[in-house]
Amino acid sequence: MRKRLPRQPLPYLMLAPSVIVLFSLIIYPMGFALVNSFYFWNLQTSPYPVQFIGLSNYQMVFQITPFMDSLRNTLILSIGGTFIEFWFGMGIALLLNSQLRGMTIARTILIMPTTVAPIVVGFLFRYMFYEGSGLFSWLLTGLGFAVPERGLLGSSHTALASIAVADIWEWTPFFAIVLYAGLLSVPEEIVDAARVDGASRVQMFWRIILPLIKPTAVIIIMIRFMQLFNMFDLVFVLTRGGPGTASRTLSYNLYYEGLVNYNIGLAAAMTWLIVVIVTIIINVYILIAFKDWEW
Amino acid sequence: MRTPIQQKLLVYLALLPVLLFFIGPILWFLALALRPPETAFTVPPQFIFTPTLKAFEYTFLEPGNNRNQLLNSVIVSSGATLLSLPFSVSAAYALSRFQLRAKRFLMLWYISLLMAPPIVFLIPYFVVMARLGWVGTHASMIIVLQTITIPFSIWLLKSFFDEVPDELEEAALVDGANRLQALLRITLPLALPGIIVTSMFAFVFSWNNTVFPLVLSNQRTATLPLGTLSYFATTGVTWNYIAATAIVTMIPPMIIFLLLGRYIVRGLTFGAVKG
Repeated sequence: MRKRLPRQPLPYLMLAPSVIVLFSLIIYPMGFALVNSFYFWNLQTSPYPVQFIGLSNYQMVFQITPFMDSLRNTLILSIGGTFIEFWFGMGIALLLNSQLRGMTIARTILIMPTTVAPIVVGFLFRYMFYEGSGLFSWLLTGLGFAVPERGLLGSSHTALASIAVADIWEWTPFFAIVLYAGLLSVPEEIVDAARVDGASRVQMFWRIILPLIKPTAVIIIMIRFMQLFNMFDLVFVLTRGGPGTASRTLSYNLYYEGLVNYNIGLAAAMTWLIVVIVTIIINVYILIAFKDWEW
Repeated sequence: MRTPIQQKLLVYLALLPVLLFFIGPILWFLALALRPPETAFTVPPQFIFTPTLKAFEYTFLEPGNNRNQLLNSVIVSSGATLLSLPFSVSAAYALSRFQLRAKRFLMLWYISLLMAPPIVFLIPYFVVMARLGWVGTHASMIIVLQTITIPFSIWLLKSFFDEVPDELEEAALVDGANRLQALLRITLPLALPGIIVTSMFAFVFSWNNTVFPLVLSNQRTATLPLGTLSYFATTGVTWNYIAATAIVTMIPPMIIFLLLGRYIVRGLTFGAVKG
């Protein structure tokens, strides 16, 4: 138990610098975006906001940018990606948990993808996805799958899925390694007791192991879901959101409007829409993941 | 009932393709960096070739356009890590050692910053840095990276401070030391491994960040991950150079993660899972 005088100034003095720095680093962009979301302002034509246009930017986000398509793509990517990565990772973790020889080496190999910069992962897969000669496309063709004529990244049916494959490659090991650590911390007595009571492997997994590692699972699912929701680097290298808008995510849509078209007012309005969406998701998550957290 | 030997064999048989899937793309890109350019896009892919270091020579020695980017990456990543330390060490210590009413709120605020989309901050930063004339400086990237390094380091460091027993400090306080002395002489040295681990993670996250340098750097200050893009933008995509640059970009984070060993789980989960 820690019993300290709650009113002494020291802890607050120690916290203040980080709070002040972070607050100013965030309040400025947010304020900037809020003010400019009401102005027409294209950076290519003017270094300063041009004209107050009320809520038009917010309207235009939906009218002239594929905001809803981007939102849909982002949700497909984050929900599908998190789901696949979690269960794939869980499978690998269970294999590692067999406690055979060589699992340390397997774990070391698995860590490698998570160390690679996402932009580099993009290049790794762009090369593998290359029409015809790319290793991945070539293997798919060899296995009898029809690879689209314009390549996996050039077809609107496969572009988003291809981005997901690259992300699954990089981040499934994250789930595998963390869940493996979780499995190792499950007390052996509990597992033994269940076995004596005649529980099958499947029952053991669903009734005993999964509930025990649930707190860990919830937190990593939350972290990964948000990282997927913010997906930018892979889209930037692999498809630039294309073909058309087939693989455009919210982050890429914002980047495109703000830093390709330099439509700052419109991008500012979109920033706030995204901030509202993200804030809602994060708060719901936090309520679930940190409900019984001990601070 | 399967015999144990069969069972073992099954585990290995299942793991082998999995491991191949996860290491394959890295090895294939290493091969791309080492292969003669004319073998890069053949059908079927060529697995056997005479390796050459020409791509590495071109990118890092002569003319070596990427050498400078390597230096920029070191400057920006170390700068971002070092700048965040005083802020995060003090905040993490306060959050670990004191019962504060705002503790829950602050911790959740820090972690929600980590989960916010970085691109959201980027456009305003770009406009203000442009007005200040700071676009293209290392400082602009180091400052903006604090939105990641500070909250991350606070979370991870708190988990390490939590593990340093309080009693030692209390004993020092009884012996007449003040809080600051107790922190500097007792807890800080004991938490030093944790501080080093945290710095290593902060370094890797800064190193691998591309979004901020993409917008805030210029040709002179571009970081190494952006170096891959420079060959991509030119016509007749020179994939061997991309691969060579990418391989060098990968090496520092890989070495650091190998050194981090059992701390990886904790770092990747911001200290939330001890591992």
